[in-house]
Amino acid sequence: MNMLTVGELRKSFGVIAAVNGVSFAVEKGESFGLLGPNGAGKSTIINMITGLFPPTSGAVHMKDIDVIKNTKQAQKLIGVVPQEIALYQSMSARENLKFWGRMYDLSGSTLEKSVDEVLEIIGLTERAKDKVETFSGGMKRRVNIGAAILHRPELLIMDEPTVGIDPQSRNHILETVKRLNSEGMTIIYTSHYMEEVEYLCERIGIIDHGELIALGTLHELRETIGDHSKIVLSLDNKTSNHEIIPQTLTGHFLEKDIQLNDNQLIIFHKDPQFILSDLIQSVTSTGTKVTSVDIIEPNLESVFLHLTGRSLRD
Amino acid sequence: MTFWWLAIKDLQIVVRDKKAFLTLIMMPLLLIAILGAAFGDVMKQDDDVTIEKFTLGIANLDKGQLSTVLTDEVFTKALSKQIKVKYYDENGLREKIKDHTLSVGIIIPANFTASMMSGSESKVKLLTVPDPGIKATIVQTVIEQFSNSISIEVFATQLAQPVNAGNQTSVFQPKPSSDEITQPLIKETTINAKTKPVESFQYYAAAMGVMFLLMTVVQGVTTMILEKEQAVYNRLLLTKLTFTQYLTGKMIGLIIISLAQAFLIILGTKLLFGVDWGPSLSGIALMTVGFVFNACGLGILAGSFIKTEKAFSVAGMFATQIMAAVGGSMVPLYLFPDWVISITKFLPNGLALQTYLDLMSGATFSEILPAIAGSVGLGLMFFAIGLIRLSLERRGRYA
Repeated sequence: MNMLTVGELRKSFGVIAAVNGVSFAVEKGESFGLLGPNGAGKSTIINMITGLFPPTSGAVHMKDIDVIKNTKQAQKLIGVVPQEIALYQSMSARENLKFWGRMYDLSGSTLEKSVDEVLEIIGLTERAKDKVETFSGGMKRRVNIGAAILHRPELLIMDEPTVGIDPQSRNHILETVKRLNSEGMTIIYTSHYMEEVEYLCERIGIIDHGELIALGTLHELRETIGDHSKIVLSLDNKTSNHEIIPQTLTGHFLEKDIQLNDNQLIIFHKDPQFILSDLIQSVTSTGTKVTSVDIIEPNLESVFLHLTGRSLRD
Repeated sequence: MTFWWLAIKDLQIVVRDKKAFLTLIMMPLLLIAILGAAFGDVMKQDDDVTIEKFTLGIANLDKGQLSTVLTDEVFTKALSKQIKVKYYDENGLREKIKDHTLSVGIIIPANFTASMMSGSESKVKLLTVPDPGIKATIVQTVIEQFSNSISIEVFATQLAQPVNAGNQTSVFQPKPSSDEITQPLIKETTINAKTKPVESFQYYAAAMGVMFLLMTVVQGVTTMILEKEQAVYNRLLLTKLTFTQYLTGKMIGLIIISLAQAFLIILGTKLLFGVDWGPSLSGIALMTVGFVFNACGLGILAGSFIKTEKAFSVAGMFATQIMAAVGGSMVPLYLFPDWVISITKFLPNGLALQTYLDLMSGATFSEILPAIAGSVGLGLMFFAIGLIRLSLERRGRYA
């Protein structure tokens, strides 16, 4: 059964199409990732899914509830972790959680119990009475997550929840998400950190310029670039004219697998170890000196690069 | 009832904020002390004050010779540098005074000339707003002087008649006793018979109270914009809370905070400076609610057009100072021309200050009901425009 179904979702602001015909479905209990660079349209999609504002056209269904028509009914099923720290800084962690719990209609012992559980999940029981403004960025992010899971939502939507935090807090957050997912909570996780999406998500949608340009499991997405590794050769800029190198290599590699960016030559190949010595020899034969070689296993970054010609962090 | 929790949360935050307590409670008390003491002398020693030209409303029901001399020769010509005369019928004049379009007016009774000539009683009614300042004193003095001179002339004529009816100036030196001839010409009245003059401490208690209440509202609306900027507002709308409940919760919170602030200022000024806020506590409380509602509406309207908290803080501070200055919080209202006083009634703080002064002067609850209704009405209008603007923004917003 689908927890969420999104059909031909569009959002235009004047002549700008921020989201352009995006369709996907998320199954109950699944962990789904939305990957894309900043400004790709991820947050706009999230805002429409959560009913924060209506789409220009298209449909969103949470189970069998039409989100556009019955927004408040659908929102009961959702927990949202916004990109920003949406908390009251002068209140303690416990007070914040209690307040957000009340906003979800929790009260009395149910609220108290839920707050205690969430504090334990986010690892802040010891600091529950401290004001949020005294917390580190990572701790604030954890409370930010806690406020979204108090009412035990069926679908947890996390919009870049690890922006700007230390590795330790990031690990804690990733483990928390894993745990919630293993307990049956459906997760939608957006990020421009491909490692996080690779680690957490069973299926991934790649968004660019408001369009869903790829959708599948990590393995399926790798397949779209033929599971090719990336060989990066750094070239000495004092030697010869680099422009002639791609021409020299076209006999050995497909043209689409060769990229020359300034002083870097990038080659995509299934078996880099096998062709590496020949590759270096061909390059040096043009009079160019190779200063370093990196081999990068295929990942979401290379998929994105392959699909758009740009890096995720561009 | 989710919006109650929103209001309670806002209260919690303000109560814990020591800076807010100092700004919103201690500062007004301090300023009331300074300004009340500083302007106390000015308000008492009216003789030393340079008087701006003001408008006197006259309803002349007499049309006789003496009333024409008083209105045309004395007020219109002799005092043309100080007073501008406008004529009304009796009801028209009462209305103008009641809605504070005019500060001072007189009603000359129908039998004025005849009564004066015969030496019998005639009462000119002096109508003023509760805080007319020196204007009322000037008009009263002029009429007293005029009446004295007429009384003397009448008396002299009566004494001289057997000898020479035409010789009025050469006869008589002693002033007649008041019991004998001079009738009480002036009866000072206002719209409210129980009216009392407002003292400087009273004036500044109300004026500073209003200004700081306005600052509280600006701060409250600033918080709303900050919540919007920091995504707390969006997060709230993802809960059970609806857009309308959000605004209701915010409004309730702000009204409670403002009432608490007003209560502390009233109590503080009463205990520290002995300020009399008038007999109607319910009037003060409801006017405060009306004022906060009005100011909130204006704030929400402004907030719907201003995107960032920084911009609103600057604009809010600027607007507060201008409104406070024009609304009479810095310089006493009676020093302004009448047309400025009329305009200030459309400002939330101007209307509130004038109503508080009315209450201090003894106005009853029913008398200030129009001002409360006006405040709420204006607030509703601002609120509705702001809501429409915000709603349009939400529909077309960019994430």
